[in-house]
Amino acid sequence: MPNSLSSTHRNSKQNLRSEDIFRHLISSVTDYAIFVLDPKGNIASWNSGAELLKGYKADEIIGKHLSIFYTAPDLAIDKPGYELRIASEVGRFEDEGWRLRKDGSRFWASVVITRLLDDEGQLLGFGKITRDLTERRASELRHKLLIEGVLDYAIYFMDVNGNVGSWNLGAERLKGYRADEIIGQHFSKFYSVDDRATGLPQQVLKTAEAEGHFEGEGWRYRKDGTRFWASVVVTPLRDEEGTLYGYCKITRDLTERRKLLESLQQHSEELELQVREREQINAELEAFAYSVSHDLRAPLRAIAGFADILKEDYGSQLNAEANDYLGEITGAAARMNSMIQDLMEYGRVARIDIPFAPIQLLSAVDRALVQIERPPDSTLQVEVAPDLTVCAHSVVLVQVIVNLLSNAFKFSQPEGHCEVCVTAEADDKHVRLSVRDNGIGIAPQYRERIWNVFERLHDRDTFAGSGIGLAIVKRAVARMNGSCGLESEVGQGSTFWVQLERVATKGEGKE
Amino acid sequence: MPHESILLVEDDPADVRLIQRAFNKLNSDVTVHRLSNGDDAIAYLAGDSPYDNRAAYPMPSVVLLDIKLPRRSGFEVLEWVRRQASAVRRLPVVMLTSSKFPADINRAYDLGVNSYLAKPQTPSELDQLASEFRLYWLNLNEDPDLHGGPSQRVLL
Repeated sequence: MPNSLSSTHRNSKQNLRSEDIFRHLISSVTDYAIFVLDPKGNIASWNSGAELLKGYKADEIIGKHLSIFYTAPDLAIDKPGYELRIASEVGRFEDEGWRLRKDGSRFWASVVITRLLDDEGQLLGFGKITRDLTERRASELRHKLLIEGVLDYAIYFMDVNGNVGSWNLGAERLKGYRADEIIGQHFSKFYSVDDRATGLPQQVLKTAEAEGHFEGEGWRYRKDGTRFWASVVVTPLRDEEGTLYGYCKITRDLTERRKLLESLQQHSEELELQVREREQINAELEAFAYSVSHDLRAPLRAIAGFADILKEDYGSQLNAEANDYLGEITGAAARMNSMIQDLMEYGRVARIDIPFAPIQLLSAVDRALVQIERPPDSTLQVEVAPDLTVCAHSVVLVQVIVNLLSNAFKFSQPEGHCEVCVTAEADDKHVRLSVRDNGIGIAPQYRERIWNVFERLHDRDTFAGSGIGLAIVKRAVARMNGSCGLESEVGQGSTFWVQLERVATKGEGKE
Repeated sequence: MPHESILLVEDDPADVRLIQRAFNKLNSDVTVHRLSNGDDAIAYLAGDSPYDNRAAYPMPSVVLLDIKLPRRSGFEVLEWVRRQASAVRRLPVVMLTSSKFPADINRAYDLGVNSYLAKPQTPSELDQLASEFRLYWLNLNEDPDLHGGPSQRVLL
């Protein structure tokens, strides 16, 4: 193998041996094409790496000119000649660019050309090392394109001091600077004067370096002086030895989201305030209603009291008409008293804490039956299974049943037999108690209204009552997480029902 | 039986008449002195003018005290009584009020009331109350000494 180098260094046995080793080393390297050019650029040696990379065998290529590897555009500007000239003048030439293989395909080459001089300084030729970086270039390009093309994030690199080293489109769009305006400048430019004064930018870098990561939100400033709410992530960049060589910074504009969050928060605060105000107003109204109804009873007690006394002490001296008037006073006072009492009860049901406990439905019905007055000619049927237990407040539940039962007995047909039937049906979760009567019934247009306070469908001469009973039922059932309703047919009767949460009883399933 | 008197502190004139009538019907020698506000009640019990003549304005055996009163509430009167260094602090006090608020009832007992009664709705119920009240507080109940000076026991 002709080699102009070998003769000049063959001085001793030792040299010879180390040179042999060296030559073997070079020829066996496969990852790099390593070969020698004579001063004119003709190929003088060829290693296996060169063969692998470029596709030529040594006997095909030795003696050929270097330009065989160059693309047409490079040849048009005599790039091979330029490279050799620079290398011979400066001692070294480095480049990356497209080169050609034997089969005409191209690869991205990293090229180092080194000038070789003899002891007298005469140009012997050039050493050339070429590496295939096609893959690495492709992947770098992909990353570069990826970062540059991202519009929604400002992504840029900074050196260890915080000077901007790269700038993507997102950064340009977000901050308003072009790459050539900002590269080389310190990133504290994006911070407010106050933040700069307190050293926040330096703190950010310090934190990122110490903790491997910095994440934060804050106001940042654009080139035009306007600000935006930025979400920032700073990551320190370290080489293989762990030495810090810069930072990567990713910034996102969250101004809109912040505005949205703020307005949402404001909204919910306003709502909360409204709810609190309403609760307070309600509480005040309840207290007011209670206190008014309470105070109303004092003069009423006087009216009823003195009417009673008048009747007791002077009844015998009054004629029948006067006694009748006294009876009117007493009756009206009694009605008003029961109205006020019902109103207070209605307010109380809303106000008091209702502690729930499992209550046997049948026992509540029994306790209610004791409290009501039944017309003498009425029949009552109770079909409630003893194992049905509901979640309720016992006093309130009994009150509910009393109200339903007294309505059932009250609104009976003017003539005829009054029949009331109490039944209960249940599924796994609920128990529905129904009170059915064969009374006058309720026309469809009134079925909503009758649940309201002081709602009466009849004049007092026909049916007595305060008109609050069903309002209490509705409110009480709602307080016990239940519901209520009715079915009715005019002239046939009504069925009022309340539904409450069921409590599983111990004996259930065994009976 | 020594002459007994009740101090009734009640601002509603109708209630006053009804209560007085009920006690009058008992045909006993019980005298009911009536005051219409909290300030007067305290002046009476303290023996301040115009109540400085104990012959005309005797120390009562028991006070019937309403809660809602002009100037000073029944609670304030009760507090004042129990705060006294003199034997007046032993005075039996019974609330007679239309309030059945648990908060009112508890507060009265916290302040040291001896009994708490709700005003009855009808004259006949009131008659019964007056009769049983007299029997209990004026006959059965042992009276404390109300005329001693400051005692050794000091309430803090």
